[in-house]
Amino acid sequence: MMFEHCIRCNICTENCPVFRVNKKFPGPKQAGPDAQRFRLDGEESVDSWVELCLQCKRCEVACPYGVNVSEIILKAQIKYRQEHKKPITSIIFANTYYMGLINSQLAPAVNRISQLGLGKTIARAIGISTKLPLPQYRVLTLSKSRSKVGKGERKVAFFYGCYLNFNRPDLGRTIRDLLARMGIEVVLPKQVCCGLPALGNGDIETARRFATKNATILSEYIDKGYSVVYACTSCGLALTRDYPGILDVPNGKKVAENTYNVHEYILKLIEEGNVKPNFGKVNMKIAYHIPCHLKAIGIGYPAASLFSMIPGLTYHVLDDNCCGLAGSYGFKTKNEETSNELGRIASASILSLEPDALVTDCGACKMQLGHLTGLKTLDPAEVINASFNGHYKPTEVSTRQAVPESKT
Amino acid sequence: MYDAVIIGGGISGLMASLWLATKGRRVAVVSKGDPMCCLSTGCIDVLGHTDSPLKDMKKLPSSHPYRMIGQDAVEESLIFFKEIMETVGLNYTGDPSRNTEILTPIGTTKTTCFVPTTMQVSFDLEEEYIHVISFKGLKDFYPSYIISRKKNASFSIFDMDVYNTMGLAHAFEEKAFLGRFIRMIRDLEVPNAKIAIPAVLGLRSPGRITEEIRMETERDIFEIPTLPPSIPGLRLFRGLKKAFFEKGGHIYWGKEIASIEKSGNKIEAITLAGEGKPTRVHGKAFLLATGSFISGGLYATRESKAYETVFDLPVYMPDKRHKWFNDDFFKTGHPIERAGIQATESLRPKDSEYENLFVSGSILAFSEIMKYQCGHGLGISTGVTAAKHMDGYLK
Repeated sequence: MMFEHCIRCNICTENCPVFRVNKKFPGPKQAGPDAQRFRLDGEESVDSWVELCLQCKRCEVACPYGVNVSEIILKAQIKYRQEHKKPITSIIFANTYYMGLINSQLAPAVNRISQLGLGKTIARAIGISTKLPLPQYRVLTLSKSRSKVGKGERKVAFFYGCYLNFNRPDLGRTIRDLLARMGIEVVLPKQVCCGLPALGNGDIETARRFATKNATILSEYIDKGYSVVYACTSCGLALTRDYPGILDVPNGKKVAENTYNVHEYILKLIEEGNVKPNFGKVNMKIAYHIPCHLKAIGIGYPAASLFSMIPGLTYHVLDDNCCGLAGSYGFKTKNEETSNELGRIASASILSLEPDALVTDCGACKMQLGHLTGLKTLDPAEVINASFNGHYKPTEVSTRQAVPESKT
Repeated sequence: MYDAVIIGGGISGLMASLWLATKGRRVAVVSKGDPMCCLSTGCIDVLGHTDSPLKDMKKLPSSHPYRMIGQDAVEESLIFFKEIMETVGLNYTGDPSRNTEILTPIGTTKTTCFVPTTMQVSFDLEEEYIHVISFKGLKDFYPSYIISRKKNASFSIFDMDVYNTMGLAHAFEEKAFLGRFIRMIRDLEVPNAKIAIPAVLGLRSPGRITEEIRMETERDIFEIPTLPPSIPGLRLFRGLKKAFFEKGGHIYWGKEIASIEKSGNKIEAITLAGEGKPTRVHGKAFLLATGSFISGGLYATRESKAYETVFDLPVYMPDKRHKWFNDDFFKTGHPIERAGIQATESLRPKDSEYENLFVSGSILAFSEIMKYQCGHGLGISTGVTAAKHMDGYLK
């Protein structure tokens, strides 16, 4: 077992966001390799605090000895959930995909209810936090959008995931069209949830069911010469790490080996000389908050490399803080305080830079930090899209708030 | 395509990166996990076994990396380090011609050279009165150790409802917590005592926090480094990283290096084992700053063989395994400390087939870091010097 490689140096502890703000959590060293020695097969799980880990993977990225700290904890979390009664929030959040399917159909009503006092009371009664505005659903989801755009030798299957599909289909279409404008054929394959929310809520069977379905579909595209691209970094981590790893689904390895972060893919085309972008000026100062799971994938920060090609753009990379929302973690009332504390730490770092906008890849980071900083919040693709081939129109930068004229 | 690819995100690799980035080079750092300096005291030891590091450098064996790069290069590099740290608000005090002493958590003193201003103690450690503050429930910091070794000392335990160094460092960034702490210090009835606090006074802005406590309480306050999780070590690492990001540098946090691409006698690229598929990092010059055995740059077998873990470069080994250590473990100067990569004057690995590969930091042979207490100083000065040679190569 990998836990035996641990030399107890505590570098993981130095990187654990939860350990910093929640005294009930003993930190990744103790929750992971230390406690693993006492978790014998056939013995009941007793440590409820394993669920306080939000699976940001920072411990594992930081470990110089290659100990799979967060995976040890994840397995303990799954075992704990299997042996104990599932709270309703775990069931709901493991199945956010089905929630999305229903809620997007009834979007106007659902969006209203979730903002009403009664809706909030109901949410709190079942353990859902309402500190943050609940995500808004859209009727015209990505799955109902044009599923094939662009022409070219290079072909990608865009795994957009639940957040872009149900909550930000406009952003999904921006990314789809950006790739198409670079001379790439983009298809939006049929897909279900990547499975990460189910895994994070201790439901490995549901996660595996989702993963198997996606891997089957994506594998067919790969056979036809498509590369898979993702924009959501947590979906990306699931596709590249969990499909061949803990979920171990058929074709998982094949999917992982052919999957790219959207910016990694663009950068690759630029470096190979297949895309010759003419980046237009974007006069902005942005704080680029790196999502934990982007850091964990181990591909560097490809969007930052693209930012460095954009004239006029000042960007600051921030990769020390977790936003605290961690998918569904912060939406549970029991984690509300931890999540909020972490959000405040991350926000303080961002605000100290006095940026024009906050940029981040992850939907959860966008919701949490956009709310807490009050800054205009963009996806890296929106910044690149605004600059690509000089196609810069202020309204393209954000669907919510346009860049002030003076900044253009 | 990067001008320089730095393998190893420790103090040596990051200082090399910072120097190159300052010269306008495109630089990427690849790192497997966080570096050992996160666990350090944050102080910079240059040559801790003597009182005058710069003057006594010439007394070192001629094979020592300091002798190879020369005293001037060491001094320049240390000045560059200080300047960089100032840009990220981590001010250091100290003079490479004269060592200084700080108080340790067990009440002994440690000889070092550059000290974070928050740890600065400008008084006679032997004679003057100090009052140590600790926090209820804080493991690994026991004021009684200090009291037992030092006359003229006393201590108080504050109950702040936070029980570890990480949590405390975070809490000190909060106004209300800091205010409460300041009031508790004001209420202390220890006239004229200097106040010693474990090093938890903030992670992001320790300088500001320490200054505020000093002003508000009108007392001399200083931090004592703790066991890991070490806040000053983390400040040092994050400060270097922040400075590098601000200069447009790129970092790849990854796992092992999966493969090396070469053409002729040049390294073209390295690939990192990430999730799914390897990530290729392509560059013109490469620096090996992976550290020694503890950091994973070197690996030794039971059969007395040692390997350099990235390029499989020839490693100098002092002797057979049974002669690696002295009989007395606590006596410094174990022969194994001499193990490492032998370098040429331009800090290229000796007997290496690659013309665009350089080497710096604790992986260098004959460093004997424990014996001469020169860890961070050696990392900084060989890193910056290697960077200068790389810059020359790139021209």
